[in-house]
Amino acid sequence: MFGAFRPSGPLFGGLLWKIPYRLSRPQKYRHRQRLKHVDKVVATVDAALQKLGKPVAAVERWKEEMPTEAEMLAKDKYTMFDKKVKKYRKGIHKLPKWTRVSQRLNPPGF
Amino acid sequence: MAYFKITLMRSAIGLPKPIGGVLKSLGLRKRMATVYQPVRQDVAGKIMAVKELVDVQEVEKPLTNAEMRALRRPDPGFYVESRGVQRFDTTE
Repeated sequence: MFGAFRPSGPLFGGLLWKIPYRLSRPQKYRHRQRLKHVDKVVATVDAALQKLGKPVAAVERWKEEMPTEAEMLAKDKYTMFDKKVKKYRKGIHKLPKWTRVSQRLNPPGF
Repeated sequence: MAYFKITLMRSAIGLPKPIGGVLKSLGLRKRMATVYQPVRQDVAGKIMAVKELVDVQEVEKPLTNAEMRALRRPDPGFYVESRGVQRFDTTE
């Protein structure tokens, strides 16, 4: 009944989803915290460089292109574009290493 | 001169190899390690490459490992009585 050889769907079946299709509420909360943390790191680096008076291309580009956590739509926070999925959106947690990579932009119109 | 205080919060295990190389060049070998790097353009670029993994603060002066350890040490809640005389000496 229990243990590694229990007869459950994902273990015995062939193609069964093991990753839920949407994020749970605490997962979404922690994801927002991570987004805010990255925003904070970029802001700190930017403030230090402002005092130095020497801009860095990576920082300038990030500021110009990337929305902050507060500016992002819920759609872009929790889902991402995928051409293979119906309606072209999948949960962001399907992205490999999704807690340690930045995925904020999606193709316009999708 | 200002410094970045950089702490490695998330490991680079399983991420692309170059990310680990950036951490190594910053002097971050394991999680929760803290290093101080001067505020420079190249250091800023490195931080941007690993911004999801690190925590960054701008500080005036780097601390040594011993000083950081002393800051983390809790207040013992007592003092040795024989030194109390010097401690409360108000004659000077």
